[in-house]
Amino acid sequence: MKALQELAAKLLTEKTVQIVIGYEEGPRGVRPAFITRAEDADRLVFDSRCVQNLASYLSPRRNHLVPLGKKAIVVKGCDSRAVAGLIRETQVRREDVVLIGVRCGGVVRDPAADTTLTPDTVAARCAECDIREPKLVDHLIGDLPPAPPVNRKRDELIAALDAMSAEERWAFWQAELARCVRCHACREVCPMCFCERCIADKSQPQWIESSAHRQGNLSWQFSRVLHQAGRCADCSECERVCPAKIPLSLLMRKTSLIVRELFNYRVTDDPSVPAPIGAYRLDDKQEFIL
Amino acid sequence: MARIGVFVCHCGENIGRTVDCARVAQALGELPGVAHAADYKYMCSDPGQALVKQAIVEKKLDGVVVAACSPHMHEKTFRRTVSSAGLNPFLCEMANIREHCSWIHEDCEAATVKATDLARFMIEKVKHNVPLQPIRIPITRRALVIGAGISGIQAALDIADGGRDVVLVEKEPSIGGHMSQLSETFPTLDCSQCILTPRMVEVYQHPRIKLYSYSEVDAVEGYIGSFTVRIRRKARSVDESKCNGCGECQKVCPNRKIPSEFDVGLGKRSAIYVPFPQAVPNIPVIDRENCALYKGRARGAKKQACGRCAEACGRQAIDYDQQDSFVTEKVGAIIVATGYQLYSIGKQQEAENLKGYGEYGYGRIPDVIDGLQFERLASASGPTSGKILRPSDGKEPKTIAFLQCIGSRDPAKGMEYCSKICCMYVAKHTMLYHHKVHDGKAVVFYMDIRAAGKGYDEFARRAIEESHALYLRGRVSKMYREGDVIKVFGVDTLSGEPVVIDADMVVLATAMRPQPGIEALAQKLSISYDGHGFINEAHPKLRPVETNTAGVFVAGACQSPRDIPDSVAMASATASKVLGLFSAEELEREPLVAHIDPALCVGCFHCERVCAYGAIEHKEIRDKNDNLIKIVAEVNSGVCQGCGTCQATCPSKADELEGFTDQQIYAEINAF
Repeated sequence: MKALQELAAKLLTEKTVQIVIGYEEGPRGVRPAFITRAEDADRLVFDSRCVQNLASYLSPRRNHLVPLGKKAIVVKGCDSRAVAGLIRETQVRREDVVLIGVRCGGVVRDPAADTTLTPDTVAARCAECDIREPKLVDHLIGDLPPAPPVNRKRDELIAALDAMSAEERWAFWQAELARCVRCHACREVCPMCFCERCIADKSQPQWIESSAHRQGNLSWQFSRVLHQAGRCADCSECERVCPAKIPLSLLMRKTSLIVRELFNYRVTDDPSVPAPIGAYRLDDKQEFIL
Repeated sequence: MARIGVFVCHCGENIGRTVDCARVAQALGELPGVAHAADYKYMCSDPGQALVKQAIVEKKLDGVVVAACSPHMHEKTFRRTVSSAGLNPFLCEMANIREHCSWIHEDCEAATVKATDLARFMIEKVKHNVPLQPIRIPITRRALVIGAGISGIQAALDIADGGRDVVLVEKEPSIGGHMSQLSETFPTLDCSQCILTPRMVEVYQHPRIKLYSYSEVDAVEGYIGSFTVRIRRKARSVDESKCNGCGECQKVCPNRKIPSEFDVGLGKRSAIYVPFPQAVPNIPVIDRENCALYKGRARGAKKQACGRCAEACGRQAIDYDQQDSFVTEKVGAIIVATGYQLYSIGKQQEAENLKGYGEYGYGRIPDVIDGLQFERLASASGPTSGKILRPSDGKEPKTIAFLQCIGSRDPAKGMEYCSKICCMYVAKHTMLYHHKVHDGKAVVFYMDIRAAGKGYDEFARRAIEESHALYLRGRVSKMYREGDVIKVFGVDTLSGEPVVIDADMVVLATAMRPQPGIEALAQKLSISYDGHGFINEAHPKLRPVETNTAGVFVAGACQSPRDIPDSVAMASATASKVLGLFSAEELEREPLVAHIDPALCVGCFHCERVCAYGAIEHKEIRDKNDNLIKIVAEVNSGVCQGCGTCQATCPSKADELEGFTDQQIYAEINAF
């Protein structure tokens, strides 16, 4: 923690960056912090409650952050995949951001919870984590903590869904998505949702019904999932912020498994590896076309 | 309110038999926005088109739907009709009620309802159509021909004689290709070099042809009318501007035991060499892998290991330090004529699906040669001066087994296609053999004799009837060397008898394959190729010499196995296409291309990565103080082929395909 604060203060003092985006203690757990003065750097914290993906603040769509100047952000390994995605899709230039990587021992699902990691409290994505020490960084902070306990609930649920008949699965998602109020928090929090105009806001023609009813809700989530196929960094922020508690990360996870199977591709922190949506390869399998 | 005119065609009985066209017209006439509806027996006939024109003028129509056949058939016709009546041609659409309705249904009532629906969808689309203007792009009226075999030579000469400049690129030290290696040509038995070499010289001397021999296409950018091509000029180690082709250098070269590529390994050449005496240009090249000097340099020897050619050269043309150099040429059209190679029966293969022939000894039995090697033996300029002598001991073979379809028509060996030329050249080989060795016996194992072509079947019959070749319908299961002969085990399927031949020599008619590296070239040119590497034509029947990239054409055996007459015809066809393209200063194209809204584009460039034509460019958006706001994708309408892949990929739908906009498609679906 001390090292993080000192580094942030140094970056600000030396004017390497004008703003450091990290985590601070808030009234309900940790929250994103925007540090612009070196003396405020001691507000920065990092522990297993720092679940938020701060890469969202690099998205050019958040243009209110642009006037603040060059940014440094704190990234966990999983967050660095989103940063790589933004670089890959030419939204961020690598030289325009300072990445402060933190060695991570897993995070809890709720930033307002305590820091104890148990199979019940740990985030599902930590189960498969191979990037606890991020590589796409300018600075690397902390010692590598022990590996977190494993939460297999998400994959067990996916297996249960896979075992269902198509009708049962349809009924499951109909019921889940019926609760959607179309607040679009899932979109707003997502680092990879950076369109100037989301297809959900397109009105001429209106492909996706904008009011919160079953048909539009389904169209919206299915479009979102397809747009994220092979791009989703698996930070599960969409699920965390959903006020209707829709298990959105099941959709994202299942899609990434399908992409893995069809294109032999896992979302990576290497920006030079092209994502399947934007890649033309002669050896692509095409069995799904017919 | 829109004023759409609907014209329902009976297509004689084709549509009228199943669809009640009068009822369709009546129902459509009652729709909102439809100002006129009519049906007619043949809408594409002159009186039919007159009806359309008359209605446009009289009823002041602002859109037209023709419910008739496939747009493939008559869209152009009706767009011209509409245009001649003063309406923008892109305000006319066709509803296909023939292929999509009358031809595939029997129930008249249901077909009539469906035809009405199909036209109704199109009416809704046309309401959203906007006038489009043809795209005009300037043309660089200069062509690039890749490959200077007979196809490339023919194409280059035709274009140059047509008054346009040509850049001709050949990767070998000499032009001429495989035809220069052949002895005589079927079906007339005229000497190959005698008819080819005048053409080669003509190419070299033509004021409109710029020849780059021993060069390869390194990179291609641009689009129809405006390609920029980077050409790698491989280091010859000989200064072309100084060399006069005297040949003194070759006489003094100490390494004279290198298998000659031109003689397919049957003859020898020196390390500094001209591939064959009539080579064009007649300028030698140093084979650096086999040259003592370069081998010495590679070992790091301090002293120059050799240098005799430089000493012998009276014009100081030898340049041991020459490096590859690059030139850039601007052209408006490209012809690909890279030709073929022969299938190797060896164990080492370029691709996994190619298997080679273990049963024929994987090419290790001496005196088992391929067709091109036989050509060299039979050629007066060949290593044996035209005498048929077998490579192992120089004896005259008294029995030769010719095996057809080696690799060809054999999916197990990796190729299911017919190589087309082998039946004819094997017949030719048996004749040449008979002419040269009167008591020789030619035995041909064949699957079918495919001799379609002018004078071809007569020629094949002559091989059998006059040259007394023994044709056995069947394949050879194995062969091996026993003493002085090759035991060839085959079967005569017509008599059902197994056959064993003691052959002195075996000639394999191996399959034709595209040149190695064709895939890489095709990718540079954004043209497609099939599973074997043959370049795909745009349409197998109606656009046989175009590729799927505008401005790139294909000629000769790189498109599929072809003989000389076919290759030459195809080359002339590409030349006529290129000259047609060059007949105007500007190119007019249909405006059905993609368009990206710069306000909505976020510059993720998925479109760029999926575009098969390289049509997406980067465009900087700046404010009035010249500060960069963002970089967005922009479609180069000269390159775009209107395939719509970018439109489907764009996540924010910033990308629209003119003529098929979201709005138009949505209106159609909504009407449904």
